[in-house]
Amino acid sequence: MTSYFEFTNPTKLCSGKGAADNLEYELEILGVLHPMVLSDRVLEKIGTLGIVLDALHTVQPGRVFTDIPRDSSIDVVNRIAREYREFGCDGLIAVGGGSVLDTAKGVRLLISQDADDLLDLMGCECLPRGKYVPFVALPTTAGTGSEATPVAVIKNPSLHIKMEYISQHLMPDVAVLDPRMTMTLPPRITASTGMDTLCHAIEAYSCMQKNPISDAYAASAVRLVRDNLVKAVRRGRSKETRMALANASYLAGAAFGNSMVGVIHAVGHALGGVCHIPHGDAMNILLPAGMIFNRKVCRDAYGELLLYLAGPEVYQATEPSKRADRSIREVIHLRKQLHELTGLPLTLKEAGADPGLFPQVAKTALNDGACIVNPREVTFEAVMKILEKCYE
Amino acid sequence: MKRELMNQADRIVLEVLYRSFRVLYRKDSRVRKEIDGWADDLTLKLVCGFGGAVLVVRHDREHGIVKLKRAQKADITMRFKSVEGAFQVLSGQKSVADAYAEHLFFLEGDIFQTMSFVRCVEYLEGYLFPGFMSRRILKELPGKQIPALEVYALALLENGN
Repeated sequence: MTSYFEFTNPTKLCSGKGAADNLEYELEILGVLHPMVLSDRVLEKIGTLGIVLDALHTVQPGRVFTDIPRDSSIDVVNRIAREYREFGCDGLIAVGGGSVLDTAKGVRLLISQDADDLLDLMGCECLPRGKYVPFVALPTTAGTGSEATPVAVIKNPSLHIKMEYISQHLMPDVAVLDPRMTMTLPPRITASTGMDTLCHAIEAYSCMQKNPISDAYAASAVRLVRDNLVKAVRRGRSKETRMALANASYLAGAAFGNSMVGVIHAVGHALGGVCHIPHGDAMNILLPAGMIFNRKVCRDAYGELLLYLAGPEVYQATEPSKRADRSIREVIHLRKQLHELTGLPLTLKEAGADPGLFPQVAKTALNDGACIVNPREVTFEAVMKILEKCYE
Repeated sequence: MKRELMNQADRIVLEVLYRSFRVLYRKDSRVRKEIDGWADDLTLKLVCGFGGAVLVVRHDREHGIVKLKRAQKADITMRFKSVEGAFQVLSGQKSVADAYAEHLFFLEGDIFQTMSFVRCVEYLEGYLFPGFMSRRILKELPGKQIPALEVYALALLENGN
């Protein structure tokens, strides 16, 4: 753990049954009259967006934009910011998964800094707040935790990379976790996004920026995933399990938003950019290999996590020197269960990755900011070994 | 007074850093490979706190890097929040990774390109600091392709402009 840390979490959390019904009030408090609503076509089609629009009542959206792809890009963000100005909007509502939420963060950045191109605003913790743009996030997956992080990951299609923007001014004013938002998630996506949450929590608990506050958030997230992920995959209509996973995602997001993530995410981002592997799938595939890579410097942290991964009985019954290994086995066991239930890929081969692209993946991963806070030095050779190990 | 001393020390170490970078560009294949991968004419600025020492360099195909007069805006700027924070890194008390983790500096520009610069600094730290210091601050010792004394000697002879 470092000798100094910072922790930021200014977002108001509205979590639970009917949370979206308070949206009109939250917008009034923020002074929003004509918000821009961002979402995607699927959420529009299945009615999730409709629930939010209905909850606006007297608030008239200035613009509803649903043409956001799965991996949003700089061009999409720039285009939406232009429309925000053209339609005279005065705030942002993001209804969606990580791509929609990160797109909204990018738009907020452009509007607040009075800029036209996201490429002009690259950096880490370098921007002043600028013009205030009210921002409400309603996540529709329980995985990215983007509603609680100062990070936006946005694709740069010309370079085939996912670019990271880090600023406390990206964080939403309000995050609304309503079980209706995630109720219709298919089991396969529930599993994939749930493993993304687990990966956020485990990396947050073991990376260089870990601190007592982020540890508390991360440990709670791991416990909620342990108790609810398989249940949610089996019985998706359970409001309790959906809420538990939404809360876990938020907690893990707040944890890694402050203590950052490491090699698993660095390689996962690169696999997304180069091989187009969905982020949650990549996290599921890489998690055990990444833990094994970091084990020699994270033994204590992984050992502590066993309490949350397996519960007090298992923790108590396991010798302290064997707890880290047992934690990794618990993760492997969870992956196996999810694979049997949903077919979630366990290898990069199953996920359709081309091994011929691995050198490019490794080169891209090394330049990901997450490598710098990984507790163990990440080299090209080490990433290649992880990729080869995860291939089949 | 203490702050002014740190400022002076930061200035000296930045000069050593600059000269050693040029030496390693010629003598260390890893550093050369990293720098050759930078965009043509990429400018990089290191600012050691408000009112502190500044180093601005541009990528140069012949020498690796060349020093510039203070540029208003560089492609990549690493700005330490305080003279004290910069001193901790430049005096070998903390690695760049520690400094990042402790929010001692912030970054303007492309994080992807900055990671290559960070790796170069880590190679450099492996040469410039004695083993006991490098072992304490670096996650792994990067290894040396020439003796550290040679780097120091060549850096002394290096053109500082």
